Amino acid sequence: MAEARQVPEVAAPAVAQGNAAYAWPTHPTYMGTDVQRIDGPDKVTGRAKYSYDIQRPNMLYGRIVRSPHPRARVVAIDLTMARQAPGVKAALAVVEPNAILMFQGEEVAAVAAATEEQARDAARLVKVQYEVLPPLTSVEQAMSPDAPKVFPDGNVREGAAEETGDLAAGFKAAAHVVEQTYNTQVQTHVSLETHGCVCEWDGDKLTAWVSTQAVHGTREGFAQALKIPQANVRVITQYMGGGFGSKFAPDAQGIICANLAKQAGAPVHLMLDRKEEHLATGNRPSAYAKIRAGVSADGMLTAFDAQTWGTGGAGVGAGFPLPYIYQFPNRRRQHKDVYINAGGARAMRAPGHPQGCFITEVLMDELADLVKLDPVDFRMKNLPPDAPDARWRAYFPIAAKLFGWDKRHPTGDATPGPIKHGFGCSANRWGGGGRGSHAHCEILPDGGVIMRCGTQDIGTGTRTLVSIVTAETLGLPIDAVNTEIGDSLYPFSGGSGGSTTAASVTPAIRVTAVKALDALKAKVAPKLGVPPADLVASDGRLHARNDRAKGMTWKEACRTLGAEPIAVDGEWQPGLSASGTSGVQMAEVEVDTETGVSKVTRLVCVQDCGLIVDKLTAESQVIGGVLFGVNYALFEDRILDRNTGQMVNPNMEWYLIGGPSDVPEITAHLVDQPERGVIGLGEPPAVATAAAIANAIANATGVRLRSLPMTPDKVLAALEQQRAGGTR
Amino acid sequence: MAPKDETRSELDERSGVSRRFFLKTVGAGGVAASVIDGLQEALPHAQEAGTAAAPAAIGPGPVPITLNVNGQRLSLKVEPRTTLLDALRNHAGQTGNKRVCDRGSCGACTMIIDGRTRYACSTLAIEAQGHDIRSIEGLAKGTVLHPVQQAFAEADGMMCGFCTPGFVMSAVALLEKNPHPTVEEAKRALDGNICRCGTYVRVLEAALKTKGVARG
Repeated sequence: MAEARQVPEVAAPAVAQGNAAYAWPTHPTYMGTDVQRIDGPDKVTGRAKYSYDIQRPNMLYGRIVRSPHPRARVVAIDLTMARQAPGVKAALAVVEPNAILMFQGEEVAAVAAATEEQARDAARLVKVQYEVLPPLTSVEQAMSPDAPKVFPDGNVREGAAEETGDLAAGFKAAAHVVEQTYNTQVQTHVSLETHGCVCEWDGDKLTAWVSTQAVHGTREGFAQALKIPQANVRVITQYMGGGFGSKFAPDAQGIICANLAKQAGAPVHLMLDRKEEHLATGNRPSAYAKIRAGVSADGMLTAFDAQTWGTGGAGVGAGFPLPYIYQFPNRRRQHKDVYINAGGARAMRAPGHPQGCFITEVLMDELADLVKLDPVDFRMKNLPPDAPDARWRAYFPIAAKLFGWDKRHPTGDATPGPIKHGFGCSANRWGGGGRGSHAHCEILPDGGVIMRCGTQDIGTGTRTLVSIVTAETLGLPIDAVNTEIGDSLYPFSGGSGGSTTAASVTPAIRVTAVKALDALKAKVAPKLGVPPADLVASDGRLHARNDRAKGMTWKEACRTLGAEPIAVDGEWQPGLSASGTSGVQMAEVEVDTETGVSKVTRLVCVQDCGLIVDKLTAESQVIGGVLFGVNYALFEDRILDRNTGQMVNPNMEWYLIGGPSDVPEITAHLVDQPERGVIGLGEPPAVATAAAIANAIANATGVRLRSLPMTPDKVLAALEQQRAGGTR
Repeated sequence: MAPKDETRSELDERSGVSRRFFLKTVGAGGVAASVIDGLQEALPHAQEAGTAAAPAAIGPGPVPITLNVNGQRLSLKVEPRTTLLDALRNHAGQTGNKRVCDRGSCGACTMIIDGRTRYACSTLAIEAQGHDIRSIEGLAKGTVLHPVQQAFAEADGMMCGFCTPGFVMSAVALLEKNPHPTVEEAKRALDGNICRCGTYVRVLEAALKTKGVARG
């Protein structure tokens, strides 16, 4: 049973300690401005080739046979008929007889055929005999004492209790106590490009075009699983259609694809379909918290006692941080991972944080109401001390001003009519930060510049960042740089997870470009009669720092290289990046109390991310993160049938993602912190949105929803309970 | 989340084969992969047969078809069950439009057929014969982007880019009919497309600021 592949938060300083030789420019030309994506034209024309789009000569199509049962024993697998089907070139069993399958969608067998249609037909001809076993389909069932023991080490794994301070004294100091249960749903990644790859063998060497967030990590994964040297594997990811934390390895389908290609002696294209994607490629675990929390009469948090649990599916943990951000001096928490027969969790955009944030922030509003304090004032009293990576004390007021928070009414919109309006707020934190990343730069005698780095652009704009930093450093136009990424043949760079890519890659590019420029300066300096240290590169020229006329054009400078290009390697160094971000969000909603439909009308996001490299794409990240949070708040839910354990909405019409009409007015306020260096931004803005929306719905309706997603049925049920005289 | 407004297929109406009828016919006959030939204008041999009473069955194996894609005649051999999207992607190397949900709920495959947006994943290639098909590959003229593409690039109306071709096609279809849409009209026209990265704000910005799209 594997743990979820969580991307570790990087332990890095909160402020960059500058190294003068490579320090970021103080008056940049491109950095921090709006720079269009360099691959934008390829994406808008359809010319960008994703792994899904790769077509090789004589390529076959693969198809996986998956368990239709959430729990079953494989009795027998018969590939005979499948092998005889038209067009079939390879067929294999993925598991042996007697294997126990633990979730719907687990891989059983696979085929490859000349056309996709033939592969689907042949997959249906694979005869698998199952002994169906009773599954655990919900956390309630898995935790009940009479549940069958399905997992070898028990259905529930109880963690050690965490305790700080004196809980009894904390509750004694409380003037009010809230006791409630909160929960968040299972969310799937729904990357638009499904998981999968194209595998092609040349003798004992494998080339794989993979939809992955980690070309080097995936190379290692193929080598280990196939028992071949890493040097024999090449992984290419020029474009990839979203991963959100679910794509760091070849996975079962990658290894199956490589084995089918080997057996068939031909390249195989194996991309999952939408149902497989929902079932087998990861999800954000659910979270439950039964909390007792106390607040003093003057609005200080005093005590927090929580039992928490959640499911990451079959054998995967469901951890999340709690309490989130705010300071409870006396606290205790006991967490349990609950296993059920469903696809396993994987890292998903800020793993654990949206869960911990929602639970804590909804609780915070309940406590604020009890002491009759404005939610912002109440939070300000209970925040940790200000620090470079903890700036909520500054950001709440900024957000309040941008949002118009002073117009908030007390809980429950008193205006007549069915449509109620409300405001809500919340805060978020995340790590980010840089780590080892390498690059290679060539300056060619004809003036050409190539920058290579084995990172990948998962949609965040990494390719563009590489060009920006190279052009900035060499004093050239952005389109003068040939950026080459997305290939494991290029210098090592880590996986794109934990919001670490920008902070890992851009320092490596900066260092490498500076080194390359230094090499060019050394060649040119004697010809200009200027010491190399006095040369600068700007506006396409190399010239003396104090005398622009004493210099030559970039092309002239490169011509002095003769036949031998400059080729230098560089790597990430400390001093150009840092770790730790903070942010605040505020939401306005409109709730129809007759239909239960909530609509988010406005969102303000105040977010820092260190030094901004490309303002345009950074803002896109923030807007996208906020919308990710809107979906989590209102729409998304992996629904399992409680009797059969089957996912009832493994598609995109019943697994809901908001569309253009669901978009609120979004204010993305990025706080630039050039002194901190680059940090990273992909995850932080996605954390706080659902909590802010939940608090806004409570402010509008006067009833509190403690369960995500906040669908119309839950809103109506809460309103009905209030009318019936239930407790708020 | 809203579906495209064209829930009733115009192609189906023209060909005289409704989706419901098609499914019923296939189901009743128990023929998994054959199709009743209703596209008489597109299939010469059917015209020769000339009777509606006894339509000829084709398939289930590959059959020759001719598509009019971006003004080019494209001759392919595909099984009758092959969608227009798969015919272009898997059999003609035109992979610009994407396959995401493969059942008409996300819009990544959106093409313009006879001037209207259509989900190519839910349109059979054989039924698309005789119609004017425009895909994402047909918009740019060499390296010169279509005004909508240019606007998307400038506004950063994309992140991972996998939904982008579908959004561009939907925006082109909108602007050809209505060169000056309101925000609400633009939202409605693009509601049949889903983006996971959350690019809607800038997609709408791009659609609304595009200038110079001629009425189609």
